[in-house]
Formats: sequence, structure tokens, C-alpha cells
Amino acid sequence: MGKIIAVTGKGGTGKTAVTAMLVRYLVKESAKKYRMLVIDADADANLADALGVRPEKTIGDMREFMQQSRYSASPETDKQVLFESKLFEILLEAEGFDLLVMGKPEGSGCYCFVNNLLRGIMDKTVADYDLVIIDTPAGLEHFSRKTIPDLDDLIVVTDESRRGLTTGERIRDLAREIEMKYKDLYVIVNKVTPGRKEKVLENAKSLGLKVIGTIPYDESLAKFDLVGDPLMGLPDDSPAVQEMKQVVRNLGL
Amino acid sequence: MADIKLDISPMYEGERIRKEDLWIELAGPKAYGFELSLATPMDQIEDGKVSVVGPELSEIKEGSTIPFGMVFKVGGEKIEKDLESIIERRNHALLSYVSGLMHLNQRYDIWLRMGKVLQKKGVTKWENIFKPIIDLYKAEMPFIEKMEITIITDPAKVKEEEEKARAIYIARDARAKGLHDEDVDVFYGCTLCQAFAPTSACVVSPDRPSLCGAITWFDGRAAAKVDPEGPQFAIPKGESADLITGEYASINEMAAKRSGGEYSIMKLYTFFDAPHTSCGCFETIGFYMPEVDGIGIADRDFKGSAPNGLPFSTMAGQTGGGKQVVGFLGMGILYYFSPKFLQADGGWRRVVWMSKALKERVKVGISEDMLPKIATEEDANDIDSLKKFLLKVDHPVVNGVTRTVDSKKITEGWTLEEISDEIKEKVIAFVEKTGGDIDTEAVKADLGLSEGQFMQVIEALQADGVLE
Repeated sequence: MGKIIAVTGKGGTGKTAVTAMLVRYLVKESAKKYRMLVIDADADANLADALGVRPEKTIGDMREFMQQSRYSASPETDKQVLFESKLFEILLEAEGFDLLVMGKPEGSGCYCFVNNLLRGIMDKTVADYDLVIIDTPAGLEHFSRKTIPDLDDLIVVTDESRRGLTTGERIRDLAREIEMKYKDLYVIVNKVTPGRKEKVLENAKSLGLKVIGTIPYDESLAKFDLVGDPLMGLPDDSPAVQEMKQVVRNLGL
Repeated sequence: MADIKLDISPMYEGERIRKEDLWIELAGPKAYGFELSLATPMDQIEDGKVSVVGPELSEIKEGSTIPFGMVFKVGGEKIEKDLESIIERRNHALLSYVSGLMHLNQRYDIWLRMGKVLQKKGVTKWENIFKPIIDLYKAEMPFIEKMEITIITDPAKVKEEEEKARAIYIARDARAKGLHDEDVDVFYGCTLCQAFAPTSACVVSPDRPSLCGAITWFDGRAAAKVDPEGPQFAIPKGESADLITGEYASINEMAAKRSGGEYSIMKLYTFFDAPHTSCGCFETIGFYMPEVDGIGIADRDFKGSAPNGLPFSTMAGQTGGGKQVVGFLGMGILYYFSPKFLQADGGWRRVVWMSKALKERVKVGISEDMLPKIATEEDANDIDSLKKFLLKVDHPVVNGVTRTVDSKKITEGWTLEEISDEIKEKVIAFVEKTGGDIDTEAVKADLGLSEGQFMQVIEALQADGVLE
């Protein structure tokens, strides 16, 4: 069983860009190579775009397929075996990582059985990788439904403001409320203005948050974002990419 | 060849072969193929043999995807036709025990990948993999005494054999669909929904699929086998206390245990006395309307109000949460195709109203004579219009329902609880107008009364001395 890391944060903090850069670093620069699964669990973000891949279908689509299969599948069909196959079918196998997209949330009707199958399959799937990285919205919905397994590390991406940092606190509370399990909670502060790093670290310390990276505002990243180019293509020497070395070291990867 | 030793162990089950580890891909979404297990007479099996129709493994290009079929002939004293599919269902797990071999899905949807691991082991022939598999099957299922495998890799031949296999699957499905509660020894229970409906205890039998629609008896069997202590579990059927209502001591025990003592009796095929609990996941809800002595059913997507004045959501709110509510019942779509559908209450003969989309959807399951007699929102949306409709179509509830299962008359038909002066006057006026030549159609149309109700009024008038 490998390590499972989730990256979360409010919209606009650059959570998805940070996730993509982390994946980029691990694929392109890390000395250690991992069998890595990336899960895009944020329907509003687009991690796949940032990674430069185009998945055709999502777990949500396959869940709907399973809902329909109640009426269409042959009576003896083993639904778990069917669902496993459908999920493997949508697994996007890219250079250095695999990607699964959670996709749309449930429709009306009962998803108890299909989600229960999904939990079992996700546990098995995850066990097949050395490292799983999940991009998840701040609401942590998939975790309250337990369709994503327990975590090792929960990373909160924030901006440099003190108010931004308190997101870290709030997510810690929310995680407790929904009984989500993780070993460590870390913060990555994104778009840090030159000269403010010390103050940011001081604020984080006073809130009891452990910062594992401060990503400087990066012009090359801003340009990539502006035109929507995949972040896998960022130059190795971009300051944001450079900071990933620190992040990866702090995560013990 | 003798020195090829495959790693075979349950620990490799669930191992995924990624693209970069892939040697050859068999069938799956990018090709076609099938798997078939056949119970075969012992004298027609050459035990341990693996034959190949089409290219040998060594002739197949690395990284390619090919059509693929595999036929397992199995024989043994205890092997009968109905064991075939049980053996076939083991393919997924057992083939995955081989390190470097991934097996997904079933029947004509199979998808296999062979990893480079196998290539490195020196595997060059199909039999290098499938001979050890024969040994594995025999070890795992000792009732298999002889086994022979045919691997098909010739694309045209795969197609041809797949067609034949499909005919066998269809026959198997027909058998499975013909499975009834009396044919099995075990039902399955489900408590998956207790997270939000703590006293909910669902029973899934061949004739009563789960009310959420997600779990058939076969699903229960599969899940309980994987994890007997999990949310789906076996209920050994035992003796029935009442075959018509579907009461079993084993189910009552289960209900008492799983509902935390809340319910001690739960019957499978009835609406009225100790009905099944409803968790909240039901695809449709049935509701009893005492005014017409009949049952209405609305589906989750029906947004209007049913003739009882309530929308789906309100009824669902009253019924959900794992309660046993007499007069309301959550039901799954598949239950409408069951011969035991509300059999104690008269089945379809007791159903008076359905939301249109639902009626359309389950039409095939509705008994033919009842089809035109069940109203939808287009015919009736309150009790008055429903009464008129039922009178017009001569619905069985009007004059009393005789249930199919034992030909017992279970309802008396409509009667007036109180014969008001107003009704008496109307009837007198009607009788005077028609001059004693009573037409029942006119009674229904002009008075909105059933024959029985009309006679009730006439008798009352005779007792009053108004009529002779």
C-alpha cells in the first residue's frame, strides 16, 4: 500500500496548479520513480487540462452506467466485476502517471449500493500504486461519502493572507467533523510576494500549521495559466517548479 | 517448457497491468472476445489438454490487442449444467491469481492483459499459462475431475464461437429469470442503508428485488460470498408460515435482530399487515387509498400530486427511515415484473393508479386485462376523478377483488358507509326519470355509484318504505 496525498484549498488559490506541478516534478525530476495514480476529484477545476491529458469519461459516468445496468444487465452479472472493468476502462494511462476523474456528482435516486461497490474498488485500485495524489475541493465531499480511501497527508493550498491561512484551520475542523482520516495536515502557501515569506511562516506558526512549501509568484506560471497551456511543459528552472523540490522533500517522497 | 514456473497466488488478485508493463492485450474494449465454461460428459474431455485455434502466443506482436476466446470444458460426477455459470464466475478471481495476468469483466465483455513479467518468465505458448490454470481450477474446485481448455485467437473463429456462446448465455439468463422464491433455500438481507435508516432491514429474494432497485437476489449472493459479515448477508429461508403473504420465521428473526427489536414480523408480498420496511431509497412508492380501496404507485420522477393529494417527496418522507408503515410501501422497479407482486393484496387487480411514466416503463409486467383499468395522471388526479374512472372501466376494486393466487375474494367492493338523504333523493330522481328500467352504465355515469352502492341505496329506500 502506497502513500495517499490529497491537495485541497479554496477556489482561486492555485490548488490545481500546485497539484499539477507536484505531479510534474515527480514524473520529470524526482530521482525516485513511482507508480502514481492521480485522482481529479474537483468537478470545478480541471486537473487533466493542467496535466495535458484528455480523459473521455469519468467515474461519475460509469456510476450512471451502473445505475442503468440494474435494468439491462443479465441477471447473473457480477456487478462488482462489471464496475471494476468499467473503471479500468476509463483509467487514463499517461507518461509516468495514471489519471481518474471523479466527474459529476450523483443524480437523484439511490446510490447506496453502487457507492459501496465503488468504495471497495477504489480501495483495491489505490493499493496497486506507490503513490496516489488527489485534487479535491475544500468541501471534501468525496471523503464524507468515503468513496476515496483514508489519507496519509492532507495538503491545504492557500494564498499568503492570514485569512487564507485560516482555511487550513477550517479544513482541519471539517475533516474532524466528517471523520475523515489522515496522518498529517500540511500547508503550501502559493503566490507569495517577495519579502513576505517570513511573515507568512510566522502567521502559520501562530495558527499551528506546518508549511511545507512557499511558492513564489511566478511569471512563467502566470503566462502558462493565461493561455491555458499544460503545466507539464513548465521550464525546470521556473521558481514555482523549483519550490516543488522542497515540497517533495518535506513530504518524504 | 518444464522449467517455466508461474507465480500463482491469491495475493496477485486485483493486480493491474498498466500500459507500460503490457505485453499483449486480449479482447476488451478495443477488440472482442468471450469466455465460456461448459459442463461436458467425462468421456468427451481430454484431461489437461490445451488446444489453440489460431496463432500461437509466440506469433503475436508485442503490444498488440487481439480478439480472444476461451472455452473451458469441465467434467465431474457432481458437475451439472447449472454449475457452469458458477464455475465461469470464478474466472475473474482465479485467472487473476496468475502474476502477470489480469482478467476483467465477464462473458462477451472479458478483457485480459498479459504483462511483460510472463514474457520474462519465458512464456511462449498458450499452454504455458493455461495448463497451470487447469491445475488451479481443480485445486480450487475439487468437484472438477477433468478439464480441457480451448484458446481461440483466429479473429473470424472468435466471432463465430462468440455467437454460439451468446446463445448459451441467453438460455442461462432465461433460466435465471425463471428462478422463484420457492426454488431457492437462501434469501439475502441488506442493511446498507442503516447509516440513515437505522431500523431498515431489507430482504432480497428472487421474486422480490430490493426496493432501491440496485440489488437482485444474484447481487446479494455475490456480495454475501465476498463478505459474509458485510451489509449483504444470507438468510437461510426455512419454512414459510404463510406462502401467500410471504411470511417466514427466518425473515421475522432477521427483522427483529437487524431493526434492533423495532419490528418482529415482516412479510414479503403485502402492503397491509407487517409490510416490508422502507429505507428511503425506493425507486417508487405505493400508497393505499381507502376511498377506492385500491393502491396507487408513483415513481421518483413524478413531480405532481398523486390522487391522494400528496407528491412523491411527502410520501417518501413519511415512509422512509426504515419504518414499517401500513398503507405505504417502497418498491423497486423490478418488483413490478414479479409474479409475487403484492400477491396477498390482489396484485395488479388492486392497483388503481400509476404515474404515467412508470406505467409505461413496467407495462410488460402488468397483467394484460388490468392494463387499461389502471389510471394515470392523465385520467385522474384526485379521488373524485379516480372514482369515476374506476367505475367506467369496471375496475375489480369496485365490486370486490378476487386475488389470483388462491382465488379468494379479499375485498367486498365499494360500499357506502352512510346513506345520506342527499344520495337517497338523487337515486329517487334517477329511478323516476328512468322509469324503473335501470341501466348500470347510467348508474355509474349519472350517479357515480357502483352497482353494489346503488343496490345499498335501493335497499335503504325499500326499508324506508319509499320504494317497493
